[in-house]
Amino acid sequence: MRLSKVSFRYRRREPSVIREVDARLEPGDVVEVTGVNGAGKSTLLRLLAGLTRPTEGTITGRPAVVGFAPDRFPVEQPFTVSGYLRHMSRVRGGARWEPWAERLNMSHLLGLRLGELSKGSAHKVGLAQALMASPRLLILDEPFAGLDADTRDALPSLVTDLSADGVVVVASDHQGGLRRLAELRHWTIQNGHLVEGAPEPLLPSPQVTVEVTLPSGELPRFLSRMRADGYQARALTAQEAE
Amino acid sequence: MIALAVFRVAAYVRSHRVYQALLLLLALLAIVEGSRAPVGQETSALADTAVLLIPVLAWSTRSLLDTEPDQQRTLSAISVGGRARELGAGLLAALATSVAFAALALGWGLLLGVSVTPPPDEFAAVLALHGIAVLAGLALGALTSRPVLPSPAVSIMALLFGFMAMLLLSVSPLYWLTVPVIRWMKAAGAGDLAARLPELAAISLLWCLAGLAAYGWLRRARP
Repeated sequence: MRLSKVSFRYRRREPSVIREVDARLEPGDVVEVTGVNGAGKSTLLRLLAGLTRPTEGTITGRPAVVGFAPDRFPVEQPFTVSGYLRHMSRVRGGARWEPWAERLNMSHLLGLRLGELSKGSAHKVGLAQALMASPRLLILDEPFAGLDADTRDALPSLVTDLSADGVVVVASDHQGGLRRLAELRHWTIQNGHLVEGAPEPLLPSPQVTVEVTLPSGELPRFLSRMRADGYQARALTAQEAE
Repeated sequence: MIALAVFRVAAYVRSHRVYQALLLLLALLAIVEGSRAPVGQETSALADTAVLLIPVLAWSTRSLLDTEPDQQRTLSAISVGGRARELGAGLLAALATSVAFAALALGWGLLLGVSVTPPPDEFAAVLALHGIAVLAGLALGALTSRPVLPSPAVSIMALLFGFMAMLLLSVSPLYWLTVPVIRWMKAAGAGDLAARLPELAAISLLWCLAGLAAYGWLRRARP
């Protein structure tokens, strides 16, 4: 897949969001895309996915089957998780979603309505629908956002397996969740230009511990919500509380 | 594309949005077809129903197309293999729903609105008017759907004013500038609907296709 002098602007007379991007993607490449908010990461992902045409330049050699996992899965739909995945499977020509549901540890979610899902659980549905059709180009928009710790740990190895099968994986990821992959390519969007190079080292962000008081009956739900959002959360013991 | 159209109809039904258009249609039919048309005026009564169908079908189309969240539209486009197929699946889903509503209206009219079925040539013309009403509702509803008009207030006003403009223009000598619905009714009332159908159908179809083409063109920049 090749991008040649790709530029994109949303309206005439507006400056280009993406400017003269030249890049080549080979089967098995895993690319991490970073950039400040509004830099054009999502625009670049949409261009790669074929959702948007470049204003100038060309994108050639895009695989026929593309998977796209959004940063926010649209839960405002009147389906259960399994009902939704069944429909998307039919749209994908009968793709098998069940193995991915198992691998993403979401079997317990299948009977739930989409609107009842936490952010992390909804994100898994987005991943499953992207993966089910065995795409040759997989685009992940902030894939680690809100995932529980187990899936967060499992995702890099899943990406490694896909890469070994020749799938091109492009992920917009400001959390650096794929940094431990050996062959990771790193793209940064700066002023609309694509710069390829070594990623900035991740600095550990300062940690704080907060105290929250809530009715005891709501504790399990609160803890699971916090964990689904990627935070370490636990209830204090009676001794610790004293 | 058919699987995606089925998905969209399923979402429309399961979200219960379908009942908004269905209840509106049933209320309209109960009023309009409340008493049987006098003998000899069957074609006129059924043509009136076809005209009244247009705003209901436009509402239904708009509602069905707007059921899908914007992000899901993106996922659907990628899953089905492109924006054009996603657009086609949406229109196909809206068309199937509109045909069902039009069949309900025509069936109700034939069973409860008239005493006898019109002569074959006039009945064929009435059928054609219902078909054109489906396309007119489809075009008006698609042009007022969220990707084209993101503001719900603007969208619903555009739908109502669009239908009003259709009525007003088709009374005037410039009736050929729109789907000439009042001319349908006048021709049916005068008993020459079958004779005038080719002209009226040609103008109507032209504007329906222009509306759908405009929707497709506008959606290029409004994914």
